[in-house]
Amino acid sequence: MMPMYLVEVVIENKPAARDPEGETIGRDLINKGGYEMVKGVRTGKYLRLKVEAKSEQQAKDLIFKMCNELRIYNPVVHTCTIQVKGTEK
Amino acid sequence: MPVTKASLTIDLTSEEMRRVIRKLGRHPNTVEWGMFDIMWSEHCSYKSSRPVLKLLPTKSPRVIVGPGQDAGVVDIGDGYAVVFKIESHNHPSAIEPYNGAATGIGGIIRDILCMGARPIALLDSLRFGSMKSGHSRWLFQYVVKGIADYGNCCGIPTVAGDVEFDDSFETNCLVNVVCVGTAKHEDVTPSEMRRPGDWLVLVGGSTGRDGIHGVTFASKALTEKSEEDRPAVQIGDPFLKKVVIEATLEVIRTGYVRGLKDLGGGGLTCASSEMAARGGVGAELWLEKLRLREDGMDPFEIMLSESQERMLFVVNPKGLDKVLKTFDKYDLPYSVIGKVTSTGELVIKRNGKIVAHMKPEFLADAPVIFRKGKKPTYIIKLKKMPKPPMPRNLTDTLYSLLAAPNIASKEWVYRQYDHEVGVRTILKPGDSDAAVLRVLEVPNKAIAMKADCNSRHCYLDPYNGHAGAVAEAVRNVVAVGAEPIAMVNGCNFGNPEKPDVFWQFREAVRGMADMCKALGIPCVGGNVSFYNEDERTGKAVKPTAIVVMVGLIENLDRVTTLSLKEVNDVIIALGKTYPELGGSEYYCEIHKVEGGKAPKADPKREKASINTVLQSIRAGYVTAAHDCSKGGIAVALALMAIKGGLGVEVDLEKMPANKMRLDELLFSESYARFIVTARREDANQILQLAKKNGTPASEIGTVTTGDQFLLTSRRNPIINCSVKKMGEFWSQTIPVMMGACQ
Amino acid sequence: MKVAVIQFPGSNCDLDTSYVLRRVLGVEADLVWYKYFDRSEYDAVILPGGFSYGDYLRSGTIAAHTPCMKHIQEMADEGKPVLGICNGFQILVEAGLLPGALLQNSCLTFVCKWVTLRVETSRTSFTSLIPSGRILHMPVAHHEGRYVNDEKGLLELYANEQVVFRYVNEKGEPKPESNPNGSVDNIAGICNLEGNVVGLMPHPERASEKILSPYRKNDGLLIFKSLLEFLKCGMSEGGARCQ
Repeated sequence: MMPMYLVEVVIENKPAARDPEGETIGRDLINKGGYEMVKGVRTGKYLRLKVEAKSEQQAKDLIFKMCNELRIYNPVVHTCTIQVKGTEK
Repeated sequence: MPVTKASLTIDLTSEEMRRVIRKLGRHPNTVEWGMFDIMWSEHCSYKSSRPVLKLLPTKSPRVIVGPGQDAGVVDIGDGYAVVFKIESHNHPSAIEPYNGAATGIGGIIRDILCMGARPIALLDSLRFGSMKSGHSRWLFQYVVKGIADYGNCCGIPTVAGDVEFDDSFETNCLVNVVCVGTAKHEDVTPSEMRRPGDWLVLVGGSTGRDGIHGVTFASKALTEKSEEDRPAVQIGDPFLKKVVIEATLEVIRTGYVRGLKDLGGGGLTCASSEMAARGGVGAELWLEKLRLREDGMDPFEIMLSESQERMLFVVNPKGLDKVLKTFDKYDLPYSVIGKVTSTGELVIKRNGKIVAHMKPEFLADAPVIFRKGKKPTYIIKLKKMPKPPMPRNLTDTLYSLLAAPNIASKEWVYRQYDHEVGVRTILKPGDSDAAVLRVLEVPNKAIAMKADCNSRHCYLDPYNGHAGAVAEAVRNVVAVGAEPIAMVNGCNFGNPEKPDVFWQFREAVRGMADMCKALGIPCVGGNVSFYNEDERTGKAVKPTAIVVMVGLIENLDRVTTLSLKEVNDVIIALGKTYPELGGSEYYCEIHKVEGGKAPKADPKREKASINTVLQSIRAGYVTAAHDCSKGGIAVALALMAIKGGLGVEVDLEKMPANKMRLDELLFSESYARFIVTARREDANQILQLAKKNGTPASEIGTVTTGDQFLLTSRRNPIINCSVKKMGEFWSQTIPVMMGACQ
Repeated sequence: MKVAVIQFPGSNCDLDTSYVLRRVLGVEADLVWYKYFDRSEYDAVILPGGFSYGDYLRSGTIAAHTPCMKHIQEMADEGKPVLGICNGFQILVEAGLLPGALLQNSCLTFVCKWVTLRVETSRTSFTSLIPSGRILHMPVAHHEGRYVNDEKGLLELYANEQVVFRYVNEKGEPKPESNPNGSVDNIAGICNLEGNVVGLMPHPERASEKILSPYRKNDGLLIFKSLLEFLKCGMSEGGARCQ
């Protein structure tokens, strides 16, 4: 029985690219809403996956390959951060 | 002697570089090299295309602003003008379809806005590889989404367009976008600086390292490395754009804006130099005043940045306060970044130190390249292709054609576009051959608009194919009852340094120019996109110059749609059919061949049928009208039946044509043809008008009740099927291929 | 008798709505920039469609936090008519003036098409002239129009006659095919308890002139005419029609 790993994938615009949604939320909702101490907002897409794999590294490598092959993110404008958060109990 | 700046190299030829040094009388510094590099790139300077584009007629009594400024301006009477332009965003969309297409829309909106017009409509003209290709479906899906999200958010309806699928576009999709706006004559704002002392105010987005050398990226063919070319695709902000639109229109109404230009390709370099050159003045820019988004940007990067949503206002000092207060109302960021001067020099300073200076005309006047064209060998080879055999079951052939991606219903696309916002859209996508939007400010006035180009015809015969594109665009606006008044064209070709590609380009422009001259239609602007070619294989896209036609309607009671209306209406065919099936959907989709004789464009025949239809519609005789294009007469009649939910009974022997094979008669894509319907009592009037104008015309059948689509020849049923079934074939293809739910 | 049409940054249908009020109906209507809204000048307020704040984070949520919403809430509490069209409906829901939530369409794309509606109640300030059961044709154009509410919320809506518009077919039946976004029970528009605050996803301002309608009707105008009627007669007890 292979363990079931919990993998988090976060897709964001590359740091050098603009994030108009993040900027607007930060400026027009958060700062104008009285939370001036919040100095920056970036938005992204969050996927939470359950992955059958032999090891943490294999799970991570697998998901990295998948995200590229299936164009879950576009490396032209996005970064894709993959983290394994343990196994499902 | 290549000059490098970090990892960026200058793309000018040695000869061009020598010319820069000669003009300046000294060696340019890095910033100045960068400015020349961008301004003299193909995309900004049109150096390969200018000599050829001179062929196009640009004047008419209605033309207020012709090519050369940000958009063309054409009078529509009652103190109003229509403002429109076309742009391409092919290369960015090919690697990042969503943002590439979105920022394409952003750019074209700015072009119309900065002439002082309110944008009222968008059109999109798209080309992708075969629908069987997963890559092309991916591009299609995200290009459409990019256009939808941006246009919808800005509140500008996307009302018309076209999509074609062909293998030649597999690695190089085409994304051409059009914006149409209206303006009062007195609000039309030139793209120039004219009075020394005027302030230069940069409004909108902040300046970052976006798109540095994005323009030169468009001037090179795509390579595998393109995927890593990170800075070349920008993220647009339609929300900011919408705020810029409203603020700009309000500021223009103050009367203090003396010039306006958006920052697109070539960024601040292009905007400042072109505006100064046009007005014959100089300008001084203070780079420390710009709002920068990234740290440590040097003058080179600031001058070449193509960050989105930026507009350069030239403001009368008397009204600066009022103008800035208006931007404050909208919380729109701005900086006063310079002044118009009388020195005749463009001086770029940073913190008091001059970082670049030259006469703006030097930048704006790139040397022209006279390229050579040579007729490619495929032209004659393909023309000689033998005729394929006629299929046994022509009904099945018709079903297959209706289901062909280039003919099938595009509803999947336009359902995603808000085409109703603005309460102007009288004829919506799918209703007819062109979209029709009313001019709210003037009663009983409306504008028709359509984009056309048959890439397959144009490949086999660039001259006739593109003359035919002009003709088809005219026919489409005429079919809704509009008088064509002006056009713009968006050229998309391969590498112009190759003689066969340059020949295609020259023939295309020659064809458009001849047809425009003959029909009296001025070309008020355009766009040229070269290097649409896969560098690995050398395969260029099929030559495609999109023609966008605008027409004027001055009686809203005479706006005509293509659906069959009443049982017993008479069906009339106008214009002669010839056996010219080269490049037809029939040859490509059914027989899988590419070759044969493509349709010939004849201005005389066009004039005759166009005048007949327009006069008939305006006299009130026509109940439905449709021009004949892809799929020929058979598909034209089928669509009219499907839309109207009525049947037809047509005798093909009555078609204006010489003897020919039945499949040729049904599916030939000859130009200058229409199908119109009329009440029995008016039919003869139309035939009389046809005779007067010199176009062959005859009654070919009637509209019938029920569901039967019957085309006969010598009493034999040639095509006999259910209208509903045809509708199913026609409407399923794209949703099924795109995996749509609903 | 004056109506305010609020303009948020990103509102698109403000001009359309004021065009219908002024040019088609002849009602005095002002386009009011959200920063300058002074409720003392107005007898009714309309939140138009569009993409306020780019629909960023969630449609209508940033606009719902602007200072002018407090004034609109007060107007609503005073019984003045408040209409939210499309994005306006989303803003009213986010601001808590109407119950429930508006989520992404179940087909996951933006949808622009003409739909058929059935009016469920005439007790609101915007349907007083439209008999219950009447069929109307109007276009929708949205990405987040799927109305949802929990079981308890729905029961309350029905108990208090708060469902105002429903997507139906030509026969008046609320079928799944008639529903463009998957909203629960085909709900297209609702009102508050009192019936003076109404929100709907379809665009009546786009259906107020025959020339724009594929049905050659101007059904949308009935909603604005009902508002006019309500304003002429003034408020009456329990939202009943005046005589």
